[in-house]
Amino acid sequence: MNKFARKSFKILMAIFLVYGVLVATHKGEFWPFSIYPMFSQAGNSWTRALVRDVSSTPDDLIWKTVDLKTLAGSPVQLANTGVSQIDFSNYISKTERWNANRKQGLIKMFNPANIGQSCWIIYKISGRLSHQDSVIIKAVPFLLISTDTVQTNPNLPETDYSI
Amino acid sequence: MAFVNRISTELFTPDKKETPGEVLFFRVFEAFIIAYVIKLSWQWGTYMVRNSEVVLPLGVANYIDISFMFSHSLSLINAGIITGIILLSFFRWGSKWQYFITVLLFHLQFVARFSQGEIPHSANLIGMSLLCISLGFILFDSTVKRRRFILGSIIFFIGLGYIMAACTKLIGTGINWSDGHHLWLWIAEKKTDILSRSGTYNYNWLQQWALYSWSAATALLTLGWLTELSGFLFWWRRLRPYIATGLIIMHVGITLSMNIRFDAFIFELILLGYPWATLIDNYISYIPTGNVFQPTNSSTP
Repeated sequence: MNKFARKSFKILMAIFLVYGVLVATHKGEFWPFSIYPMFSQAGNSWTRALVRDVSSTPDDLIWKTVDLKTLAGSPVQLANTGVSQIDFSNYISKTERWNANRKQGLIKMFNPANIGQSCWIIYKISGRLSHQDSVIIKAVPFLLISTDTVQTNPNLPETDYSI
Repeated sequence: MAFVNRISTELFTPDKKETPGEVLFFRVFEAFIIAYVIKLSWQWGTYMVRNSEVVLPLGVANYIDISFMFSHSLSLINAGIITGIILLSFFRWGSKWQYFITVLLFHLQFVARFSQGEIPHSANLIGMSLLCISLGFILFDSTVKRRRFILGSIIFFIGLGYIMAACTKLIGTGINWSDGHHLWLWIAEKKTDILSRSGTYNYNWLQQWALYSWSAATALLTLGWLTELSGFLFWWRRLRPYIATGLIIMHVGITLSMNIRFDAFIFELILLGYPWATLIDNYISYIPTGNVFQPTNSSTP
């Protein structure tokens, strides 16, 4: 083999080795190294999040678990707030302990100026495949936020917020 | 050993003399990567001021508290430093280690931006390309060898990435990964994301077709998986344009069916998948005044 090609291949294998060690010890991800596991676990249920403005919605309707067609209030378009919907969904679904810092972090993410005088409900939306092979989507009201308060759903157990 | 010889020849082309087209193409490719690094650095830096909490530590953030990047405009300062160093590197001012420093700073920028729980892969290829460029500059003094190594190693990691993506699906789910019901579930997930982002959502023709027919959904997933599996064929020069075309179609399909964009991947596949250098050489050969772009070290590596 050509000397240059041999040297290049050896370097490539060295990078590959470092790549392998880093992804093996960091759950498949050490950017920019990755095993590219997106969509690898098909059929698993998912959880996302969505915001609605419920400033003029009666209290008894706010905390009802619904589906995507019967959400309370009017839509809040995250595109208008500058928040990435993926970041927002992950913040809601991956936060295990809803302490004061996490609640304040949520208000900061939205920027209080965007919330203004409104009250926003944050739904946790979950989807799963039913036994009849259709998709079932459920929207659970999770947090009610204003510029200075974050209220939890009184119908959910405190363990859902790890308080 | 014969296989290793073959792959090395396909990737690093030690059997060919460098042409003016290759020299010019490399500079265009390098400029593309640099422009993308600068764009992403500022895009991530300006977004990061919203972050206050680390939800999921990535990369080096597993070892240091990355939240320091959220205050004192450090993310913007980092973007500025990356921009300055990478431009100096592009114009060949300073040390051969500069590109490697930008790799480290770019990694810091990524892990700080995406400490909110998302692990996007759309910028991975840009990160890998910058890493390969930096190693090429450190490890090779000859400009010809440097260019050949950089492009060959990036092509290797593109092929490797796709085949790993295909394998993780087999490992994570098994042979029934391409069951059309799985696509229905993902379409519903992405519908929720778009609804959250823009308040409304309408299915496009491909989604309607997939949701109407389980067979169509299964066929789409199967085709996508087979295309990923064939990604390693990108290593062979002759097959590269065909594999690149297949992968680009697959990415467009993912965008249409699941609203996930892989712009950087598509641009890099367009740049590295087709014989642009040969096209440039052919064009130069038509210029009556002769070769305009002379390679700085015109020899076989």
